[in-house]
Amino acid sequence: MKKQTVLTALLSLFLIVGISNTAEAQLGKKAKAALGLSKKAKKNSSSAKSKSKGGAKFSEFNNETDELGITGEYFGYTDQAAVGLKFVKEADGKIVDELHYYEKKGTPSLKLKMKESYFRKHQIKMFFVWRSASASSYVEMMEVAPGVFAILTGDRSLNEYDQPIPLDAKRTVVDLGAKNKADFETWDIETAQAKVDMLVGTLKGAAGDKAKKQLMKYDVYKNHVGKIAFAKGTNYLRNQKRNQPTEKEANFITKQILGETVAYKPYFDQPLEQTHPGAWFNVTYEMAGETTDREALRKSSSIFGKNIPQIDDDQDLFYWFYPKVTINTSNNVADYAFLELLRLTQDKLTMGKTYDLKVTVWAYKDGANIDPVATGTIQLEYSTDENKTKKRLFEPVQGWVSKIETVLDE
Amino acid sequence: MKNVFNFVFLLVCFGIFSAEAQESQNTILTNFQTGDYTVYKVNAKNKFEKVKKTWPVAITKTGDQVSEVLVKRSGILDETFKPDVPGYPAYFAYKTFRLTFIKDHAVYYEWNGKQQAKTKYVLVKPGGNFSSNWEDTNTKVAKYATTTFKNQTDARANVKVAKAEMAEAERQANSLDGKSVAKIAIELVATPAKVAHFSEAIDYGIVATLKDGSQLKTNNLGGKLPWEDFKLSHVGCSNTSERVKVDEDASKIPNDEVVLHASSISHPSLSAKKALATTNNVSVQVNRNGFYGADRARATNTATFGASQRGGNGHTLVIKVKGVKHKQTGASLNKIEIYDEYEQKTVAKYKLSPSTELIINANGGNGQWGSDGSSNTYPNGDRGGAGGNGGNVTIIKDPSVSEIKLTVNNNGGKGGKGGKRYNINGTAGATGETGSKGTTVTKTNSVTLNF
Repeated sequence: MKKQTVLTALLSLFLIVGISNTAEAQLGKKAKAALGLSKKAKKNSSSAKSKSKGGAKFSEFNNETDELGITGEYFGYTDQAAVGLKFVKEADGKIVDELHYYEKKGTPSLKLKMKESYFRKHQIKMFFVWRSASASSYVEMMEVAPGVFAILTGDRSLNEYDQPIPLDAKRTVVDLGAKNKADFETWDIETAQAKVDMLVGTLKGAAGDKAKKQLMKYDVYKNHVGKIAFAKGTNYLRNQKRNQPTEKEANFITKQILGETVAYKPYFDQPLEQTHPGAWFNVTYEMAGETTDREALRKSSSIFGKNIPQIDDDQDLFYWFYPKVTINTSNNVADYAFLELLRLTQDKLTMGKTYDLKVTVWAYKDGANIDPVATGTIQLEYSTDENKTKKRLFEPVQGWVSKIETVLDE
Repeated sequence: MKNVFNFVFLLVCFGIFSAEAQESQNTILTNFQTGDYTVYKVNAKNKFEKVKKTWPVAITKTGDQVSEVLVKRSGILDETFKPDVPGYPAYFAYKTFRLTFIKDHAVYYEWNGKQQAKTKYVLVKPGGNFSSNWEDTNTKVAKYATTTFKNQTDARANVKVAKAEMAEAERQANSLDGKSVAKIAIELVATPAKVAHFSEAIDYGIVATLKDGSQLKTNNLGGKLPWEDFKLSHVGCSNTSERVKVDEDASKIPNDEVVLHASSISHPSLSAKKALATTNNVSVQVNRNGFYGADRARATNTATFGASQRGGNGHTLVIKVKGVKHKQTGASLNKIEIYDEYEQKTVAKYKLSPSTELIINANGGNGQWGSDGSSNTYPNGDRGGAGGNGGNVTIIKDPSVSEIKLTVNNNGGKGGKGGKRYNINGTAGATGETGSKGTTVTKTNSVTLNF
């Protein structure tokens, strides 16, 4: 058994080293130059340039045809060097849908795999290859116009060899290849990047629709779109995977003792980056005729500025991945904006009475709340038990209201 | 002194005039036309370099306001920029990019949360000039934008008013205000399987039937009838719109039913009621365990020294049970009150059906682990803290109780593990003693419960 384990480990190591070295060797000078992987890139690109001036090496590729119209001789944008691209539909009697990249005649330097569903559903021609597991080993080619390919790198390391980096990864165009050099008068790196962003936007939109459809299968999401769910702890609202809200509605609450833990989680109709690009989240709390606003408070003093962070995560999600709290007694964490609300309302709060707390999550941009994206109301009861609300809020040193008053006095 | 005063005066005037001179994009764009714009892009060294091809820019106006700016990047990609605040725009936005027109040119830039601009391109209008550097361009456009944001108050207020008017128009169209209403009714979104302490939430909506026969419904029933039209006065559950949860305290469910009650604010004579008999069949678990030894200081509010702290004892409880009949269905129920002698207060009041399990946890807390040996001087590991004793539970059953499903867990807490020795000269600490099991006594006595 031990022998087998050692053998497997050695074999794996050999494969990893082998793949990595082969990839380095296969990538070739021009692609390396385009991807900036070699210190010799500059030198190599200039030699390639001089070679290309001497005559096209792959002009015979232009005589071949394929069903996607890709095969042919291409010239690099950065070094003008000629390379060959060939779309291979079938090999050894099997459908492979590969893009073969040639720097010299004979065997291809790289074989990129097509993301078939992107082409089938959106006619987007995208090919990718993982040369090893690291992010820097990823190469992607995307057709931005007929006869013009963008060469991209990504910021994610390997998850699956058979899959490209996810759509929310950062894709950077590092070079272009075009059949016709005259296309470079129109296409430069930035324009190709803009086109890639557009194409990825299309794919993201479709993925968003798919995610939404999937989410609607979860009652918890379906029942809470545009609403905020409350619970007695953050653990009741957390889940492990994106777009899989597995939290149980049975654990949601509509009433809680004032001063006890209230965790909350908003569910959005669409991710914020779709509905309000460039915006982030803000939260307002309303109770007993008073309102506090996180962003307004954040800008009102250095104390609030320091203690109320911007909520600029999860703009690409249909809900907050990590719920927030008004107060969390288990780890003594509270939202300063909620504490400020308690401070403002303290004279209006009476033992035995119940108050509606309205929480609104806003799309916030350029110093203003643009639109509410989720709202919810929970009833907070001022307990008649002296050790509950009264102690939690007004105990002279440890009470939440006392604490915020101390902070503000400083 | 006089000079200083004059200087300050000039500064103030300059400040005022600069602020007043700040124009919105609508005003600035009166000097711009649709056409092919010369483009300067920012290279890797943050220097501007001229792009060979011009980019077509189309400016669309609605009245005096610019409604959109279409930039045809490299003449091939359409990017439609929309004003941030239509009445007084500071910029036009396309995805996360912004476009702001200043003098002869438009700055195409990215904006971050720190109110900083990062210019990507500058688009110069036909016949215009541009000769600034990248840093100055960034500063200039950021200053323009932030100053304009401050001047947008009125325009933003107008947008807010317009949105509020739309919302109000929609509210009025769907509200009962001013309409002839025949009746209102409460409808459940789905019939709840259980109506009990800790059961799942009950979703409900309101349907109003107008005298012409048409119906208005709240959002969760597929309509837009505003909840603000109604005053809610539910009994036995939270007093919330859309969804309620049954009270955890049986004394707040006086007639063994949850009553949803809504009355129309604009038609006070109209009200609706929906009563749901409780099913009392969700198993309940009451935790009154002792604390973990390491939490002794916090739990007892007294200072402790070192590790090896003893776990807290499970709480001593008195559970009184009385058999009653369900006030709506006549079924047998157990009325239960739990008094915690450690905290000297009643901690729970439930009504459960005889076959519904009540689990009482009054286990002793575990002892804290002993400290490890720390040096040659103190090479021995400390003994672990002892476990707390299980709480003593007294169950007093009224003769009326025929059946109750009650489980009591009042075991002693485990002793904490002993600390490790520091070296071969030391000895490992012993495991702390396990706490003793609490007693469970069941008595039959007459019980009076005031709920």
